Amino acid sequence: MNKKYVSIFLVIAFMIFPLCISAAKGVPKQDEVQLCLMCHQDKGLTKKLENKERLSLSIDGNQFMASVHKKVKCTGCHNDISMDSHPRVKTINSKREYSAQMYKKCRLCHTDQQLSKNPLHSQLMARASCAECHGSHYIKGVKAEKVAVQENIYCISCHRNQLVMSMKNGESLSLYIDQSMVGNSVHGKLKCTECHAGFSKTDHPIRSFNSKRDYAILTADTCRKCHEEASKQFETSVHLSLLKTGNLKAPTCTDCHGAHGVASAKKDRTVGLTSCNKCHADMKPSYEASVHGMAFAKGNAEAPSCSSCHNAHNIESTTMTTKIKDGCLKCHKDAAKAHNKWLKNQPVALPTFVKAHFDVVSCAACHSPDAQRRIYLTLHNRKTDKPLPEEELAKLLDTEPGKVKDGIDTNKDGKVDGKDLWSMFTLLFKKGTAVTFKGTLDVSNSVESHMIAPKAEAVKDCTQCHLPDAKFFQNVFVAVKKSDGKPTLIPAEKDTVRSVFSIIPASKFYAIGGSSIELWDILFIVALIGGIAVPIGHIALRIVFSPIRALRRMGKGGKK
Amino acid sequence: MTRLFLHPLPIRIWHWVNLAAFIVLILTGAQIKMGDRLNLFSFETAVDIHSWLGFILIANYFIWLVYYLVTGNIKIYIPPLHRPLEFAKKALIQAKFYGFGIMVGDENPHHSTFYNKFNPMQQVSYLAIMVLLIPLQLITGLLLWDPNLFSPIVNLIGGIQIADTVHILLWIFFSAFMIVHFYLATLGHTPMAHIIAMFKGYEELHEEHGHGEEHAHTEEHGHEH
Repeated sequence: MNKKYVSIFLVIAFMIFPLCISAAKGVPKQDEVQLCLMCHQDKGLTKKLENKERLSLSIDGNQFMASVHKKVKCTGCHNDISMDSHPRVKTINSKREYSAQMYKKCRLCHTDQQLSKNPLHSQLMARASCAECHGSHYIKGVKAEKVAVQENIYCISCHRNQLVMSMKNGESLSLYIDQSMVGNSVHGKLKCTECHAGFSKTDHPIRSFNSKRDYAILTADTCRKCHEEASKQFETSVHLSLLKTGNLKAPTCTDCHGAHGVASAKKDRTVGLTSCNKCHADMKPSYEASVHGMAFAKGNAEAPSCSSCHNAHNIESTTMTTKIKDGCLKCHKDAAKAHNKWLKNQPVALPTFVKAHFDVVSCAACHSPDAQRRIYLTLHNRKTDKPLPEEELAKLLDTEPGKVKDGIDTNKDGKVDGKDLWSMFTLLFKKGTAVTFKGTLDVSNSVESHMIAPKAEAVKDCTQCHLPDAKFFQNVFVAVKKSDGKPTLIPAEKDTVRSVFSIIPASKFYAIGGSSIELWDILFIVALIGGIAVPIGHIALRIVFSPIRALRRMGKGGKK
Repeated sequence: MTRLFLHPLPIRIWHWVNLAAFIVLILTGAQIKMGDRLNLFSFETAVDIHSWLGFILIANYFIWLVYYLVTGNIKIYIPPLHRPLEFAKKALIQAKFYGFGIMVGDENPHHSTFYNKFNPMQQVSYLAIMVLLIPLQLITGLLLWDPNLFSPIVNLIGGIQIADTVHILLWIFFSAFMIVHFYLATLGHTPMAHIIAMFKGYEELHEEHGHGEEHAHTEEHGHEH
């Protein structure tokens, strides 16, 4: 019905409009506006564009009269409207195209020179049409706008548009802000300038960055202002170490949390999963197949996501220590007690016995039953009990960081063994650094470490470690921490931990059987043979001398 | 034939408990250490027995220690180091006896009494064993039993592998020592004399060996100095 009326109205308007227009030629501005508004005040007046968009042709007269252009005639801008033939059919492809065309109308009064005074404005002009920021009919004037409008709305008045910023490397960073995204984020109530320091309704500094990545990394400083604790934790993380050593792929705040659509990781638990998967997608299948991943998928509120174990901000490399266990123990609080039911030494079950295992064995080593296991001999400074960084080691070995493997293989036989550990220990000791190769038992890769199976499938067989030829002791690696937090792994002979040469360098690593020193077995046999040889030899001599004894006894008897 | 009282009851109990525990500890120790070559017990059984016996051995050690400290008779273990030359000479004579004299039927230069039970060689070796080696074996055993509980000591000695090395080397020593100890125990006037004495407390002395005479002589000798 409504459409019908509109059509009839348009037909009538079409017929009478030329008459009105011809009568209005040379009419004063005020009258012209009134004349135009006669039709354009209709809220339903729209035009269908070529791309099927509908362009509203409706003008609110009151608002227009309150605008800075109130004294300008309609034809002052719409100078292509012929008063003789309006409304003639004009082809407009899209709103955007129309908006861009209208930009030329603004220049009738606002010269390029004037508009380019502010370089930022000049940049904007190249990207956006005037109307995109200033609007069209109800322009208030920049000063009035700044005063009247809320800061966020002021910012968004430009940034709701598809603005981009060019980086020095040629990349373009979209400056478009989705208002609803910001509104729904945890920062929905913040002012733009609370993060974007230095910006205000009056100041808009012009900045330039090398690349989008550079910009993202620098943004972390913005977050630090409020999120001090998380930032402090981040400083100890492997991610920041990677960034510092030039690995720009390592994540900073916005990579996980997003920029404007910051989600609350507390409310939205998927943040601690999806954001990690961006880089660690290779962990996804094993996690999803694990008892943890399945529980998470079922919506179990207690099921862990990545950050539950690895922490969100202070993420460390898991190879150098068994600290990741703290992540497990956060939920499995009674783990020590539960293990102590069977993992104990006679005659009393002590929790410290469990802890002795926890200190060395990763949870996954037993709870990821199908994994390959490795012994990691991690190089530590004996005095500080901290990992000795590869760079420091390289300096001590007079080599380059990438070549420590050759430095550790001191006898240059192409493999690292107990003798090499001993040589390195003595070499570094002479240079004033006492080191120790701390041993840990872990799975061979991080994919396996996520394949946590139900409890019933966990390894409970002591002999997997506690036999001289134990299955879990077949792969031995020397691990040296790099300054980016990740370890350099150097394959070692499997008998490295069983070598008599390793006793001092790896004096803090011991497992009954697994690290059983082979030489002592030989010595034991030799000692037994020696022990038996003494009586045999002695008896033999006594037999040989028995005639003399007999003679002397006879002599003695004779005396008697 | 006279009887010479040598071994009081607490010491006899200590000795035989010690012997039994040592044998089983050496065997379970071998099983634990060389599980790939031996199959006397399962790993878990060997560890359980080893742990239990370890504590029994510790308790047993205190029988010995308390007895000798309370009676003050610990001095039979202390070599007269204030007379080093004489002691060394006596030790040499004793060594010569075991190395040669015994072959040709010489008298044992040492004659045991309750207050002078050990010959110089025994004195030195038993002192080292009782005061140093067995305590070391017991302590390192305790450290290995629960390295985390005793972590301050474990760290002090440089790591648990050090404790293990000491424990293993002593295991080797004791294994060999026990064989030799048993053999030497058969070198009394009859092969079973010392062994029976360790059960009964008394050693039977045959007059023809002139032990009484020698005994008197030893005491006289002692007075002279």
